[in-house]
Amino acid sequence: MPPSKAITAGKGAVGVKVPHTMTERLLILLSRYREASIAVVAIVLVIYFQVGSDGGFLSPQFMSVVLRDTGRLGLIAAAEVMLMITGEIDLSLSAIFSIAPYVMALLSVTYGVPLAVGALIGVLIGVLVGAINGIITVRFKVPSLITTVGMLFFLQGIVVSIYNSQPIVAPVEQPFNAIFGQSLYQPSDGLFSLHGITAFTPFLWAVVLVLVLALVLSRTTFGLHTIATGSNIIGAREIGVRTDRMKIYNFMIAGGFAAFAGIINTAQFTSADPQAGSPFLTLQAIAAAVIGGTSLLGGSGTVIGALIGAFVVASLNNGLVMIGAQATVSDIYLGAAIIAAMILSIQVDRLRTRRRV
Amino acid sequence: MNTQAIPPLSKDAPTVLEMTNISKSFGAVTALVDVSIKLRQGEVLALVGDNGAGKSTLIKILSGFHQPDTGTIVSQGKEVRFASPRDARAQGIETVYQDLALVGDLSVFHNMFLGREYHKRFLGLNLLDNRKMREQAQLYLDTLGITIPSVNSTVDLLSGGQRQCIAVARSIYSSPKILVLDEPLAALGVRESAHVLGLIQNLRQQRQVSVILIVHNYNQIFEVCDRINFLHAGEVALDASTADTSEEELIRIVKSGLGTRAIEAAAAEIRPGLV
Ligand SMILES: Nc1ncnc2c1ncn2[C@@H]1O[C@H](COP(=O)(O)OP(=O)(O)O)[C@@H](O)[C@H]1O
Ligand SMILES: [Mg+2]
Repeated sequence: MPPSKAITAGKGAVGVKVPHTMTERLLILLSRYREASIAVVAIVLVIYFQVGSDGGFLSPQFMSVVLRDTGRLGLIAAAEVMLMITGEIDLSLSAIFSIAPYVMALLSVTYGVPLAVGALIGVLIGVLVGAINGIITVRFKVPSLITTVGMLFFLQGIVVSIYNSQPIVAPVEQPFNAIFGQSLYQPSDGLFSLHGITAFTPFLWAVVLVLVLALVLSRTTFGLHTIATGSNIIGAREIGVRTDRMKIYNFMIAGGFAAFAGIINTAQFTSADPQAGSPFLTLQAIAAAVIGGTSLLGGSGTVIGALIGAFVVASLNNGLVMIGAQATVSDIYLGAAIIAAMILSIQVDRLRTRRRV
Repeated sequence: MNTQAIPPLSKDAPTVLEMTNISKSFGAVTALVDVSIKLRQGEVLALVGDNGAGKSTLIKILSGFHQPDTGTIVSQGKEVRFASPRDARAQGIETVYQDLALVGDLSVFHNMFLGREYHKRFLGLNLLDNRKMREQAQLYLDTLGITIPSVNSTVDLLSGGQRQCIAVARSIYSSPKILVLDEPLAALGVRESAHVLGLIQNLRQQRQVSVILIVHNYNQIFEVCDRINFLHAGEVALDASTADTSEEELIRIVKSGLGTRAIEAAAAEIRPGLV
């Protein structure tokens, strides 16, 4: 039987319901092009701030700040998306964000360990913490919300107790700092010169790593099994997906990403602050993920959406201040945006369910 | 159907599976007590019993999803222990679970190949060969005469019947040695049911694949099965050949509502010299 005939026969036999109302059509469109719809929001926001700030918003200096925040948030948001797809969440990422670069700076200052080696150790610590989070969650069946809140306090307690909450001035080693975030940009430099590009290294790292995650998610068995784990954990297990391992691996990825984000942050500011990552950082990253189109229900999510979501959050944080609003006002918008995005997300999911015949 | 064309199961067909004295409890709930079943090469065995009798638990032990508290499984003459469904699938045991084990957020073709994906090398990376899986899934569904809107659509957009067909197709795709179907006809209409029964009948004709079929409809049992095991309160209460038992007799036994011993006695009375 030729495939085309099979397809028509199938449609005639059962058929998928065609959406009727305008709202339904809009929701379908949104669900199909999640990244595109959040990109539209981002563009509207840019235009709004650009006009409101008389052209200051898109200046290289200001963009480098917005994109620095975007990179930091985007890395954590994308990692959070992987976990949210498996149906879990990690609230300890901000503590990993603090502790990894702190260890790196400490090793460098006290033992003269090269920053590159310290950074590797820092990332491995992040991965290890992720593994512990995952194992506690999966083996002892503790909800990850609880596991990771516990881990958050535990790690935060450790990192502030090392030096009595004192930030360490991290040494500068080239090319390490230039590669991993230090901005060499001067107003006299061209934007597309080598120095100009260093103004955006945190963002560029985030873009590269988020694209890698996107590839993993859509083109590898690992990605397929990650989605399967969050979409139907029993079914996935019945067919032989190792759901426990998938969760643990994704916790490890999240830990590694948070550690890397923290290291970039320290390379940029040449200072390791034990309180660099406040729990707000994780919450803003989760906000970015949700605004980017990932629901907390598991089974689906977009890391590229999360990066764009991170840009929206970073733009709100910085842009509102720039156009003269109180710093606290951005939280009002952020809060409203999270709730609106979540309502939208759930509406889209519900619509999909209703379309089941 | 082509009932006449089905050759009787050869007397010396080898035993491919023996589950012996399998017991399983979930906390205080005893699901199975010393259940033993035997399956021969090419045989279609019906597993019947009321809801809660333990049918699904038994086949989930066979599929490696549950581990038995006691008892042994001998497959192809070797004792096996399945720590996970991967192990059982690797041994050629494919299962269509009652809940179908399909992932709603993934496409039909990804579901077809879940756990045994095709890969291709690209720049040294081991990536999914989506094109191959898409083509193979389409081709295979066409061969089986299963029609769905598109192999690209996610499974949560399909009807219950379509999903059931996909789960059945997935299980047959890898040419298993033992095929286990837990109520594969539950959500199917008359036409789709006949279709799936036809697929089982084809397997039975070739006598290569051994099948365990959990099903409630007695017409269907007599149409496609060689033997019936009646599971009652966690035990095998009756083991009868469909060739030697009439539908009326079986229904009478099952509906008798007697205790296990009494059912055995009744069975012996109806058919002395049964297995
Ligand atoms: N995962 C489980 N946890 C607890 N009890 C279970 C579980 N699976 C099955 N049972 C119980 O075991 C018994 C047998 O169930 P099941 O094998 O599903 O029966 P059947 O498939 O014959 O309807 C039932 O009493 C059921 O409630
Ligand atoms: Mg059952």
